[in-house]
Amino acid sequence: MSTIHCQSKPKGTEAKTEQSAYTDDILKIKYITKGNAKFKRTPGGFVSLEFEGKFYSRVSVYRAFPFTNPDSFISIRQPDEKAEEIGIIRSLNELDKETAEIIREQLNIRYFTPEIKKIIDIKDEYGYAYFDVLTDRGACRFTIRMNTSSVIRLSETRILIVDIDGNRFEIPDITKLSAAELKKLDLFI
Amino acid sequence: MNLKYELPKKLLEFMKLEADEEIRYCAPYDLSTDGNYIKDSYVAVTNKRIVVFFKSQIIHNISLFDCQDILCEKLVDNGVLSVIIGGQPYLLARFSMRHVARFAYIARGAKLLASGQNKMVVSLEQERICEKCGRAIPGTRECPHCDGRRATLKKFWQLCSPYKFNLLFISVLMVATSAFNLVIPYVLKEFIDRVLYPRAGGFYEVLIFISVILSLTILLITFNIAKNWWCASLGAKISMDLRAKLYHKIQQLSLSFINSRKPGDLMNRVVGDTSNIRRFIEQAMGSMLTILITMIGALALMLRSNAILTLISVVFLPVVIVLSRMWRKHIRRLFRNQRFHSDRVNSLLQDVISGMRVVKLYGREEDEIEKFDHLNERFASIQKRNEVFWAKFYPILTFIMGLGLYFVTYFGGLDVLKGNMTPGGLTQFVSYAGMLYGPLGWMTHLPRMIMQLVTGLERIYDVLDEEPEIADLPDAIDHEIKGDITFKNVSFGYKAYEPVLENINLEVKKGEMIGLVGPSGAGKSTMINLIMRLYDVDEGQLLIDGIDIRNIKTSSLHSQIGVVLQETFLFSGTILNNLRFAKPDATLEEIIMAAKMANAHDFICKLPDGYNTYIGEKGNRLSGGERQRLAIARAILVNPRLLILDEATSSLDTESEYLIQEALKRLTKGRTTFAIAHRLSTLRNANRLIVIDNHTIIESGTHDELMRQKGLYYKLVNAQLQMAALQEANAGHTHGRRGGPGGPPPPPR
Repeated sequence: MSTIHCQSKPKGTEAKTEQSAYTDDILKIKYITKGNAKFKRTPGGFVSLEFEGKFYSRVSVYRAFPFTNPDSFISIRQPDEKAEEIGIIRSLNELDKETAEIIREQLNIRYFTPEIKKIIDIKDEYGYAYFDVLTDRGACRFTIRMNTSSVIRLSETRILIVDIDGNRFEIPDITKLSAAELKKLDLFI
Repeated sequence: MNLKYELPKKLLEFMKLEADEEIRYCAPYDLSTDGNYIKDSYVAVTNKRIVVFFKSQIIHNISLFDCQDILCEKLVDNGVLSVIIGGQPYLLARFSMRHVARFAYIARGAKLLASGQNKMVVSLEQERICEKCGRAIPGTRECPHCDGRRATLKKFWQLCSPYKFNLLFISVLMVATSAFNLVIPYVLKEFIDRVLYPRAGGFYEVLIFISVILSLTILLITFNIAKNWWCASLGAKISMDLRAKLYHKIQQLSLSFINSRKPGDLMNRVVGDTSNIRRFIEQAMGSMLTILITMIGALALMLRSNAILTLISVVFLPVVIVLSRMWRKHIRRLFRNQRFHSDRVNSLLQDVISGMRVVKLYGREEDEIEKFDHLNERFASIQKRNEVFWAKFYPILTFIMGLGLYFVTYFGGLDVLKGNMTPGGLTQFVSYAGMLYGPLGWMTHLPRMIMQLVTGLERIYDVLDEEPEIADLPDAIDHEIKGDITFKNVSFGYKAYEPVLENINLEVKKGEMIGLVGPSGAGKSTMINLIMRLYDVDEGQLLIDGIDIRNIKTSSLHSQIGVVLQETFLFSGTILNNLRFAKPDATLEEIIMAAKMANAHDFICKLPDGYNTYIGEKGNRLSGGERQRLAIARAILVNPRLLILDEATSSLDTESEYLIQEALKRLTKGRTTFAIAHRLSTLRNANRLIVIDNHTIIESGTHDELMRQKGLYYKLVNAQLQMAALQEANAGHTHGRRGGPGGPPPPPR
C-alpha cells in the first residue's frame, strides 16, 4: 500500500488556491504565550480569552497528553460542538503564575479522574464487582463489570478502572498499595 | 432513567414554590465545582426556575425565561450543567458520569420549558444501579434482587405451566428416587442385624439380600435415568419456547429499541440466558426435590433411631457449610483469575495476529514476542499454582468434610458396645448421616443458581415485555403510494436530549429525485430512516400523498419502498434466494428482467452456477460492485414507488460505478427518489439538492442554483474538485500505483 503524502509532492499542489492556503494554516501550531494572550476568569466560573485581536467570551481547555504530560501542550478551543482550535499553550510553566492558575482551574473542571488512595473493600457478586475506596476527591463507591475491559493497564504499575457508568479511576502505582489491598485487587490485575 | 427524584422536604420548603409552580425535573449532583465528591445536593427545575442546592443552601435561583441556552456538557469523565444568560455562560452544577445522561435529558427538558412548550422529556434509558440495594442492574428495568425476584419466579411458573403433566411426573420420579435412597440402608440394616450378626443364615439369605439390593439399585438407576431424561427434555422445550418468543419479539420491535441495545447483548439473551434457564431446569430442578426429601427423611429416620447421635452429627453441619462456602469462594477466585489471564493472552494474540502486517512493517516482531512471552509465562504460572492447589487441597477438604462421620462412628460404636444400638442400626445411621453431609456443597451453590435463573428470566422478560414503539394504529390503512412526500415541521432525535433534525420542512413531488447533501452526522440518513418509518418523528408530521405516515400500515409502506445502501446486506444463500428475498413469488423471468436492468445479468450468467451460485455469508464471494448491483436488482424486483439510495455508489471502482449509475438511472425513472452521496457527482441526475447542516435544511435547489448561491454546497463541490485535481496529479506522478478505495470523483457537470 502506498499512501501519498501531499506535502512531499510539490507537483500535486501546482494549483495553489485559497483552499491549500487554508490547509497550510491548519497545519501550523499557533502558540499562545505569556505575551500574546490574556486569559480572564468569567463571573460564571469559566475563562475568557483575548488573542490575536479577537475576544472569546469562553474557551475550553484540552490536554493533548493527559496522562504523560498533563501540564504541556494545552489546546485552547472554541466551547461549541465543533471545538475549533484557537491555539496551544506549550507549557503551563511558561505562563505567568496567575494565568497558569486560571488554566489549571479549568483543566480541573474538564478532567475528572480520581486517584484511588485506599481500597477499603471489593465485593464481587454475579458478574459485577463493588468497590469501596478512598480517592483524592473523597470517599467513593462504584461498580465495575467483571471483564478484562474494565481494567486498563497504562503501564506495568499504573492502572485505570472503568465503572459501569463510564467513570474512570486511576491507581498511579499499584506497588504502593498495601499487601491486603493488593490481595483484594488481585482478581483484576 | 429517573429524571424526577424526590426532593427532601426541607429543601422543598426553601424553594418557596409559587401557586402555579411545580417541580418538573429534579436530580442529585455529586461533584463540587472544584471536583470533590459531595452528597445531598440537588438541581430542581420547575416550570419557571432552575434552582441549584449545595447541601441545604440555594446557590443558584434562575428564571428559565432569562436563559438563552441551557446545556449539559459532557467533559472528560464528568459533566457540567450550564446556562447562558446575557451572552455570559454560567456553571451551575458538576456531576460524575453517573448523572451525565440524566442531566442531558433535564437540560433538554428545561430548554423546552424555557421556550414556552409545556412538554415533558422522558428517558427510556435504564438505570444502571439499583437505588434500593446499590447493586448493578444487568440491563433490565427492574432490579432482579429487589423487585424482580418474586414476580420473576411467578413468571417462571407460568412458563412451566403448559408442562404441568411433565412436572408432576418428574416430581413423582423424584419422590420415588429419594424413597429408594432411604430404603437401601434399611435393607442393609436388616441384613446385618438379622442375618450377619446372629450368623443366622446361609447361602439362601445372602442371595435374597443381594437380589433385593440389586433390584432396588436397578430401579433407582432406571428412575434416575427417566428423571434426567424428562428434566432434560423439559429444559430443552422451555428454553426453545423462550428463544422462539424472544426471536419473534425482536422481529416485531422497532429499530430504536434494537439500536438502544448492543447486538451482542440481544444475542446473549437469545442464546446465553435461555441456556442458563435450561441448565437450571436440568441440573437444579431435577435434583432439588430428591435432595430435599432425602435429607429430611434421613434426618427424621436418624432422630427416630438415636436422638443424641443425631445431635452430634448435626453439630458439624454448620462447620461443613462454612468450610465448603469458603472453599468454593476461594476456588472461584483462583479460576477467575486464571480465566482473566487467559483472556489477556487471547486478546493480545488477536490484536497482534490481526495487526501482523503493521508489526512486520515496523519490524516490531521482537517486542511483540517479548510482550507475549511475559503474559504467557504469567498465565502459565497461575495455571500451575491453581492446579497444584487443587490437587493438594481437594483431598484434604474432603477429609475434613467427612470428619463428622468419624465422630458419629465413634459415639455410635460406643452405643453398640453398650448395647443401645444394633450394628445394623449404626450402619444405617452412618449412611443417613452421609446423605445429610453429601449434598451440602450443592446446597450452598443453590442460591447462586436461583439468582442466575432469576437474572436470566429478568433479562428475557425485559425484552418480551417491551411494547413495539412503532405499532400500527388500529385504523391504519393499506395505501398505494403515489409518491408525494411532505415533511412538516419535523423534529427528531435518537435520544430525546440530542435532536438530530430540527424543524424540517420539505415538499417532494411524485417522481422527483432528491439529492441529500451535507457533512456526515448532519442528519441525512436520519431523514431517510424517518421516510422508511424505522423511527417515528418526535414532533411535526411526515406525510405521504397527504396521509400521515403513522396512518399507513407499516407492511404496506415497506412493500413499496426500495432501498439500496452503501453496505449491501446479502444473506448467506444463493443469488436467486437473495433476489427473491424482496418478492418471494417472483417468476424466473421477472428475476432475469430485474437483473438485466441492474446490469447484473451478465456477471451472474458468467458464474459457473449462474443464478444458483452460493454467495457465502454476507455475500463475501462477490465484489463490492457486484453486490451493489444485486441490491439494485432486488430493489427493482419489488417495483417500488419510493426509492432510497444511501451512499449506493461509494466504495466502488470507476468502471462498476458507471454500470451502477446506468442501472440507477433506469431505476429512478418516474419514482420518487431520495439519494445520499458524498461524491456529489453521483447526484448529477437529481432534480433538486437539499443541503443539510446543523440539524436543518440550509440550502435547496438545482446544482446550478446552488453553485450560484456560493454557500455550503459550493464549498463542498470546490473541495471535491480540488481533491480530484490533487489525486490526479499524484496519480500521474506515481504512475498507476494508486490502488485502494476511493479513486478521484468525476466532477459534477
